[in-house]
Amino acid sequence: MAAPLTEKQKSRRKHVLIYAGLTPYLFIAVFPIYWMLITAFKHESDLYVMGNVPFWFNLPPTLKNFNTLFYQTNFGSWIVNTMTISAWVALITLLTAVPAGYALARLKLPGAENIGIAIFLTYLVPSIILFLPLSRVVATLDLQDTWWALVVVYPTFTVPFCTWLMMGFFKTVPMEMEEAARVDGCGQLGALVRVVLPVSLPGILTSVIFAFTLSMQDFLYGLAYVAPGDQKPVPVGVPTELIRGDVYFWGSIMAAALLVGLPVAILYNFFLDRFIQGITGGVVK
Amino acid sequence: MTRASLSGGPDGSVRAAGAVAVPTSAARSSRWRSATARRLTFGYLLLAPAALYVLLLVGAPFLFSLWLAVSDANVGEPVAHFVGLENFRSAWEMDTFWIAMRNSVVFLVVAAIFKSLLGTSLAFLLLQDFKGKKIVRGLVVIPFTLPVAISVLSWKWMYDSQFSVINWVLSRIGVIGGYGSESWPVWLGQPGLALLSCIAVNVWRTFPFSAIVLLAGFTAVPLEVLDAAKVDGCSFFQRFRNIVVPMIFPILMIGFLFDTVFTLSDLSVVYLLTQGGPGNASKILPVLAYQIGIQAGNLGRGAAIALFLVPLLLPAMILVLRNIKRREW
Repeated sequence: MAAPLTEKQKSRRKHVLIYAGLTPYLFIAVFPIYWMLITAFKHESDLYVMGNVPFWFNLPPTLKNFNTLFYQTNFGSWIVNTMTISAWVALITLLTAVPAGYALARLKLPGAENIGIAIFLTYLVPSIILFLPLSRVVATLDLQDTWWALVVVYPTFTVPFCTWLMMGFFKTVPMEMEEAARVDGCGQLGALVRVVLPVSLPGILTSVIFAFTLSMQDFLYGLAYVAPGDQKPVPVGVPTELIRGDVYFWGSIMAAALLVGLPVAILYNFFLDRFIQGITGGVVK
Repeated sequence: MTRASLSGGPDGSVRAAGAVAVPTSAARSSRWRSATARRLTFGYLLLAPAALYVLLLVGAPFLFSLWLAVSDANVGEPVAHFVGLENFRSAWEMDTFWIAMRNSVVFLVVAAIFKSLLGTSLAFLLLQDFKGKKIVRGLVVIPFTLPVAISVLSWKWMYDSQFSVINWVLSRIGVIGGYGSESWPVWLGQPGLALLSCIAVNVWRTFPFSAIVLLAGFTAVPLEVLDAAKVDGCSFFQRFRNIVVPMIFPILMIGFLFDTVFTLSDLSVVYLLTQGGPGNASKILPVLAYQIGIQAGNLGRGAAIALFLVPLLLPAMILVLRNIKRREW
């Protein structure tokens, strides 16, 4: 005789079903990362044996691939380049997008809404259409073959996106705070600097993160404008310098992918909802 | 873009109006006007850097690409001449162009089908209440948050012609023969498989995005409405069709259109996996534009090929615009 299910049993059954449903998705999503991880720590001779079970170590794990990466390639420079590029891009983005977002959200400019949309739409102009004309711009500024080219070019997508993002943020700051500051004798600029900016710090931080993560997502501009091995950012350096003709340094490639990809993925993860919010505008409340 | 370009105009005129306002009419009204003028001046000054950046580095280059497309611009020669629609005509007559066009459309459609299936089902699962939801969500979106050039490399290794882990598993469970046999697939090296392999990576990368966008839409549907409909006797499918779908439609559209733009214009997946090969089997328009524009140095023709994406992208962009317009202010 089957006893009726208790609440607890019901909930347990539901959980089992949900986890069972989620397992394939988790597997698909995470397996390539696992594959990076295990490859990065394998000996070369362990990678290229067909008989071995490839999912675990057949020889003891090694750090040799990381060694190769740091001492025999420009990986160190690529990381420094990427960080420096991102820092400049973040700075340019902040200096332009924060004031613009504030102006469009708060100062009742005529046509502010349309200007905002126009700026945001430029985020949708794909790099594949812009990279040829921009290559001329880069050449004119005499920046080809240095990472400075990317500092000039990356804000073309971070500025529109972050302006839009900041507009959303500034709208959430209560107008009264600013007015109170104005009554207390702050000027327009004073109210912005002393009252609005401090409470918008989370938004500003988010913009910095996006300047960084969106820069990391680029491949085309880096590939097209920066040829010298020591000038490349990581996402361009790894695939172009660690694959020489038909020779693939899989261990080192995966080590690099792991070292750079995971921190970026985790950072981006925390801000993903903001990204989605930014893209979908105010459709979701 | 054109609207942003006007931003310089009102700035000047408003400032002039403010200056004129001071000596005229009652003091009160002039003070009001000059306050407004000051606010507007301040506003346009704050807006100017971003507007200029976008105008100079997106607007102007876009126009410049139109000029490139009707010129014989070359990497080696600084002086370009007007050649009319010659670049478009020669692209039109290129077999490779049509292969790339077809591949681009196939890529877009097949990928969209799979990621909407995977995305919707995943969104439904994530909508449930269960323990560890945050962790599961965080793990499942990793493909989307990894830098694309990095994650594609992992796939390139999994698609290796000899040491592919996919083939190892398939071979062990007996679906395919051993290495070197007829049935051993070379994922990136066989014309019939190369494009599909690239599409699979795109689907893997973006299905979490579809799921999260949908999820955001679902959670925006007020539960009271659903409960009310339930009380009124609506079945699950009625509620889904008549309440959920109309309510999440705008966000659905936007997510879909963003994905269209990103998928159509992305070159990194195909470039890193196959460079468009074998032959032209997996060549898509962005890869062709890159190869002709940068590698062959023919800026004019490369720009023309890239611009062929515009008619494909334009409907998507117009729809995005219409949806964004509904954003509440």
